[in-house]
Amino acid sequence: MFLALKEIKKEKLRSGLIIAMIVLISYLIFILTSLALGLARQNTDAINSWHVDQVTLNSSANTDMRQSFLTAEQVGKLTKKEALIGETSVVAKAAGHKQLSAVFIGLDDTQFVAKNLVLESGHQVKQAHQIVVDDSLKLEGYKLGSRIKLNDSQTRYTIVGFTKNAKMNIAPVVYGQLTTWQTLRGLTNGPVASAIVSQNMHYKTTKQGTKTYSTAKVIEKLPGYQAQTTTFVMMIAFLMVISLIIIAVFLYILTMQKLPNYAVLRVQGIPSRVLVGATVSQSVLLVVSGLVFGTILTIITALVIPPAIPMAFDIPVLSAVGAGLLVMALIGGLIPIKSVLNVDPVSVIGG
Amino acid sequence: MSSFSVKNVNQIFGTGTAKVHVLHDVNFEAEPGTLSLIMGPSGSGKSTFLTIAGGLLTPTSGEVTVNGETYTDRTKKQRDALRLDSIGFVLQTYHLLPYLTVADQFKLVDKVKPNGNLSKAELDDVLETLGIEQLINKYPGELSGGQQQRVAIARALYPNPAIILADEPTAALDGSRVKVVGELLKSLAVKHHKAVVVVTHDARLIEAADHLYEMQDGYLTKK
Repeated sequence: MFLALKEIKKEKLRSGLIIAMIVLISYLIFILTSLALGLARQNTDAINSWHVDQVTLNSSANTDMRQSFLTAEQVGKLTKKEALIGETSVVAKAAGHKQLSAVFIGLDDTQFVAKNLVLESGHQVKQAHQIVVDDSLKLEGYKLGSRIKLNDSQTRYTIVGFTKNAKMNIAPVVYGQLTTWQTLRGLTNGPVASAIVSQNMHYKTTKQGTKTYSTAKVIEKLPGYQAQTTTFVMMIAFLMVISLIIIAVFLYILTMQKLPNYAVLRVQGIPSRVLVGATVSQSVLLVVSGLVFGTILTIITALVIPPAIPMAFDIPVLSAVGAGLLVMALIGGLIPIKSVLNVDPVSVIGG
Repeated sequence: MSSFSVKNVNQIFGTGTAKVHVLHDVNFEAEPGTLSLIMGPSGSGKSTFLTIAGGLLTPTSGEVTVNGETYTDRTKKQRDALRLDSIGFVLQTYHLLPYLTVADQFKLVDKVKPNGNLSKAELDDVLETLGIEQLINKYPGELSGGQQQRVAIARALYPNPAIILADEPTAALDGSRVKVVGELLKSLAVKHHKAVVVVTHDARLIEAADHLYEMQDGYLTKK
């Protein structure tokens, strides 16, 4: 550590450039991770907020809630741990506002999903023409009491509450009653819901034409979700590997330049472990400094980023990414160790 | 008893037709408080002698002893430890770590070998003797060649070794400095009771030497 600190202090420009490079890499990875997480959450926030383990859909719906219809017979008798969901895509319109694509979720007021809905303001839906909407609609100028039309319907729905993190398929959710969902879908008879969601992880229906999936499976099958998350995961993974290579190359060059100095230290009897320690601790110091500055930049970004940009700064996830970068840097720092161990002190004797 | 001795050392590199016999039955002794000079032309085996004397190379046969401890049969790690404790090296091109100040060059030794080094007062005395006490916070890049050489000598003395091995210590110095370094090495040998062994082809150091040896084609003879 002594040698590493002294070298960093003396070689400020060189160390600063390496740290700057690590700052940029870590900042890029943190931002991409936050963006990936933000987009992933905008697909799943609503489902996650229900805290359900199992989802029962029509077996012909290809695990897509929007394509699923369940009849009263298929629903059968539900316990307190089950709730009905009616999902459909809608376009919200209101005078003086742009049209807005949204997801309508119809709920039964007496079941846990509606009861447990956490509101930021306003009250729960009590009547058919009332709706609770995602708070992102505030950015579009909507407020409590605003009246909107859904699709081609002439009915106006009044916003009676706002809720946070109500997104599905990267669209804001509009919560209403199941009867409203039926109206929007033009279902006067027959289907009563799109899905049964359950907080019981062992819940399974035996009704004909239905199939029960885990929540994770339903999320995975959301249109575009897997392709999007896989793309981001691949980008982050490649960035990690690229950062490993870049850091390894820089540290290798740095170490190679110091081998004559290390040879002199070996002549003087300084043990190899001291030189290896200096090399590894230099890598750790540079990378940790880079990560600290990268984190500060990310925090500043999180503070100034407009809410419309779907980014989620999740501390445990970003910490794990930071730890991953540190591990990659350590691996990179270990690559020149063999050269350090093999340094020949005789090379500096005899000029 | 001599503090440093080399007995019947032979060094052979290569095998078969590529075999080269570099050192032939070399015997050498150095007493504390003396300056021994080993002279010879390039390729005569001086550097090989120095690497064996410093425990950097195990000879094909023979033994090297420092303060009664034979180290030619020791492991690399043990030889490292012995070198750190008992042998101070002064190299041809100074080779101070460029990112350590003069003070830090000594601190590094303290980090690796916390005990048995010169005390603060002793170090101050050495620095004063060498005329570098004002340079303690300078980096090697801020020093002249002569100043770097004197720091390298102080660095070699700091672990309080029994012997100082110097490899062409005047190679990079001009004529006036050669005499100063010769006198300095001699005074350090006497004042600090060290056995100083200088390998050189610089005849201007002869007048500072207590003992003069000549290396010729791998044979060492006392003059």
